[in-house]
Amino acid sequence: MGKVEGSFTVEDMKNVQINIGAVIKEEEEWDQPMGPFPYPSIAKLRDWDFKLTDRYRIYYNPICDRCTLCTYGPCDLTGNKRGACGITQEGHQGKLVLLVVLIGCTAHCAHGRHLYHWCLDRFGDMPFDMGPEIDVDAPLTRTICGIKPKTIKDFGPVLSYIEEEVSQLLACCHTGQEASYRDFDSKALHAGMLDSLGKEVSDMIQIIAYDMPRGDPDAPLVEIGMGCLDKNKAIFITYGHNVAGAAESIFYAEENNLWDKVDIGGVCCTAIDNTRIGEGLGHPWIKKNLGTKVKVAGAMGWWRKMVRAGVMDCVMVDEQCVYCDVLEECSARKIPVIASNEKILLGLKDRTNDPADEIVDDLVNFKVPGVIVLDPIKAGEVGIRTAIAVKPERAEAQANIFLTEEEFNKHVEACTQCNSCAFVCPPHLKISNAMEEAAKGNLEPFSSTYEICVGCRRCEQVCPQDIPVLKCYAYANQEYIKNQKFKMRAGRGPVLDTEIRIVGAPLCLGTIPGIIALVGCANYPNGTKECYDMAREFARRGYIVITTGCMAMDMSLYTDEEGRTIWEEFPGAFDGGNVCNIGSCVANAHGHGAGIKVATIYAHRNERGNYDDIADYVLNKVGVCGIAWGAMSQKAASIATGFNRLGVPVVVEPHGVMYRRAYLGRTDVKEDWEIIDARDGSKVYCEPAPEHLLYVAETKEEAMLMLAKLCFRPSDNNAGRMIKLTHYCDINMKYFGQMPPDWPIYVRHASDLPLVYKDKMLKELEEKHDWKIDWKRKMILEGPIRPSEVAFDPTNIERKIRVRK
Amino acid sequence: MEMAVDTTKNPVPFEMAEFHGPEISKTYKTKVLGAIIKKSKRPLLVVGAELFDDPVMFDKAIEIGKTGIPIAATAHSIKGFIDRGYTENVYQIGFNPLANYLRFKDWMGLDGKGQYDTFILMGIFYKFASATFSALKNFNRDIRRISIDRYYHVSADMSFGNLAFKPDDYHAAVDEVIAVLKK
Ligand code: SF4
Ligand code: SF4
Ligand code: SF4
Repeated sequence: MGKVEGSFTVEDMKNVQINIGAVIKEEEEWDQPMGPFPYPSIAKLRDWDFKLTDRYRIYYNPICDRCTLCTYGPCDLTGNKRGACGITQEGHQGKLVLLVVLIGCTAHCAHGRHLYHWCLDRFGDMPFDMGPEIDVDAPLTRTICGIKPKTIKDFGPVLSYIEEEVSQLLACCHTGQEASYRDFDSKALHAGMLDSLGKEVSDMIQIIAYDMPRGDPDAPLVEIGMGCLDKNKAIFITYGHNVAGAAESIFYAEENNLWDKVDIGGVCCTAIDNTRIGEGLGHPWIKKNLGTKVKVAGAMGWWRKMVRAGVMDCVMVDEQCVYCDVLEECSARKIPVIASNEKILLGLKDRTNDPADEIVDDLVNFKVPGVIVLDPIKAGEVGIRTAIAVKPERAEAQANIFLTEEEFNKHVEACTQCNSCAFVCPPHLKISNAMEEAAKGNLEPFSSTYEICVGCRRCEQVCPQDIPVLKCYAYANQEYIKNQKFKMRAGRGPVLDTEIRIVGAPLCLGTIPGIIALVGCANYPNGTKECYDMAREFARRGYIVITTGCMAMDMSLYTDEEGRTIWEEFPGAFDGGNVCNIGSCVANAHGHGAGIKVATIYAHRNERGNYDDIADYVLNKVGVCGIAWGAMSQKAASIATGFNRLGVPVVVEPHGVMYRRAYLGRTDVKEDWEIIDARDGSKVYCEPAPEHLLYVAETKEEAMLMLAKLCFRPSDNNAGRMIKLTHYCDINMKYFGQMPPDWPIYVRHASDLPLVYKDKMLKELEEKHDWKIDWKRKMILEGPIRPSEVAFDPTNIERKIRVRK
Repeated sequence: MEMAVDTTKNPVPFEMAEFHGPEISKTYKTKVLGAIIKKSKRPLLVVGAELFDDPVMFDKAIEIGKTGIPIAATAHSIKGFIDRGYTENVYQIGFNPLANYLRFKDWMGLDGKGQYDTFILMGIFYKFASATFSALKNFNRDIRRISIDRYYHVSADMSFGNLAFKPDDYHAAVDEVIAVLKK
């Protein structure tokens, strides 16, 4: 039995119990030796970060050239000048990136912390049981912390570790602390890793406590869309990310047989988690498949459109991506608001300790526009009772939600085509054109751009004529709103070990061309359909497509020629040609988890306290690429950065420049692509695979090309490289009209060449690139960056060298 | 030649809040912009997928290309050139990696002949283009940044004023620049 090094202190923490005896016991039960980096502090994985950023150059595009963080400022840093404190523009940008990633990271971690306390209070400690098909059950926790949790309580020290690191990292942003942009970036990567860990903790706790699916490829199909909410009943909307209060509203409706009186719908990630309740291994008292009674109203980007579509009577907000004008939007329509989490209090009065009857009474009689109720059980009860009781009271307000024909005509005719609105519209909609056509009786431009409008309301704020643009949209799309009824697969949760056993080899050899992980939320550059198009393109090509959160909801809103949603068209396993809804955005951690599991289950790598080794494996051997399309919040920055530290490239939409930073490779610098062959320590110049780590794409077409390209890995065997190259070339041919100009750099051997293009390619290699070809045997004699070798074992980490030459 | 369009008016960023800092682009007459581009030794025209929204701009880009200025076609805009049979000095490259290469003094360019001295942009998603001008403004000041986009670009060195909602004026302005290049 080995001795566990290190200690940690947790002060004033409810429900946390740590004693060394427990840790030693843990060690006995887990025979895997501890790796070099359990609970890594800031500088521990810095070498790995520098390896990444030596190759993937840190690229900043400042959004503001000034710094105003201290009283010396404003400092003009244009042209990489130094501020009064001595920081460069690069350093300042690195600091801002770190701050953004920390904001995202703390959102996920604090979510987990709230669930941790609440679930222990509500359900008591529960065994951490991921079911018979998952043995590697909390891959990030094992890899980063070196522990194997046994119960919910075991996640306490993990949360404490994240909290300590976050506080250290935030301190680095103080003027006069860190100066180097490279170190700021390493710190951002650290925060990104902590973010992934916080997400895993959050989702694991809720999976256990609310009995959510443990990796069920056949998780039930649930209803999604504004049209599926039954207007004959009261409609209660739960909006945000933290299922605690929403779950209580569901329990209340169930216990009191209220389903014929109320429909519960969710917006944003709470919506997904509502529908996962009771679909796991069984629970002491949660009814089987309870979550399927709840509906998904839609992704967060639809929020303001939903308010104007009159699909709700009462709203409960919890935490994270909630629009800050939720109270104003709702009170204007007599929709009572319940704030159920300390993170969003909206200036309301805290009524947690008042009797439910009194709170309901005040809300139903509109004495207050909203209340704070921080006890989830009471918030759930108040929400359901208020929704039912307020429905008749707000009948008049509800009746006036849509503009009348006369009002609509008056507004569209008032438009002077001044285009002030188009000046500020994120997806550049020509609203004046929609107004002009509508004035002529043609509503088509309003219909065809409804899904592209991101509902930001900037247009309304600048319109000199005070035209309520979003209300005009709602008026013109009433039929669509009524018929927005689709199906979504409830979030299935983690990837099964059994699935990894099937796909591990084909993924590492390349014969399953890659895993495409789609995330995103509201700020799509060109509408929600692009999510659907991208997921479908890759599922049809045999990639494993995984998605979460608002992206999963948004891709549910379309059907194929046979009327099937993407969930009905493709199966939901973690396998090639499947589309998996993993869960809400905290469930993104299972995407990281899948990469770790390939390394541990398929390749037998030790994950325990061994983060850089696993990340090195993923970077060199697991063809996986993330995409954040329509990503809006700081959480998307932390999610992407967490993926990057684990060696997973990420593509972001053009709005992603607001995150200020990319990681881009230079194919013209040979030395950047030197890699170690772990068999003997020899150095090999490799093709740039993957070429970039964080990439901003201009269009959907470019994003798809990059997704295919960033799945190349040095370890691809010939069949795998051929398949990947086929998709890369094919996507370029399909959308760009030519072969990708850089295809030759990915060719190591004639058998890497796609069969359909083989002869043409060999000819081009000979004629344009001076490669030597043996035409009789159709072999390449000279030319490639390196030969292909089956036993090549690429690594970036010296300690992985087995025998030195 | 008669210069019809006043491209110096209306220096308002397309997304109103796009003000990066103290150093902001001036607007120039087409004649001046054209002359500066013509004088540059290593110019690069960078165009993107917004050209598909106004396809005549592909023809104008090709006209510029024919004056000897190489074209970087970002996103899938290369397709517009291929469809028009123009492939001579046009290169497919992503806007993000291109911007990354441009900030390194030792980059040898798309043709291997050396770093560029003038970056001329049109037809790229506004926010992305704006952020990229900013990257060059801050991290490689050896490259002159010229916008001949329909939008005023605050982080360029030289730009047209905003012509976003005056397509005829915009087309005429680009034609005037082309006329100078052809002289
Ligand atoms: S932190 Fe530094 S750069 Fe920022 S305002 Fe203060 S002195 Fe200027
Ligand atoms: S609300 Fe819609 S139309 Fe108005 S500015 Fe925002 S995206 Fe454009
Ligand atoms: S700002 Fe108002 S008046 Fe002007 S074009 Fe837009 S909708 Fe019409």
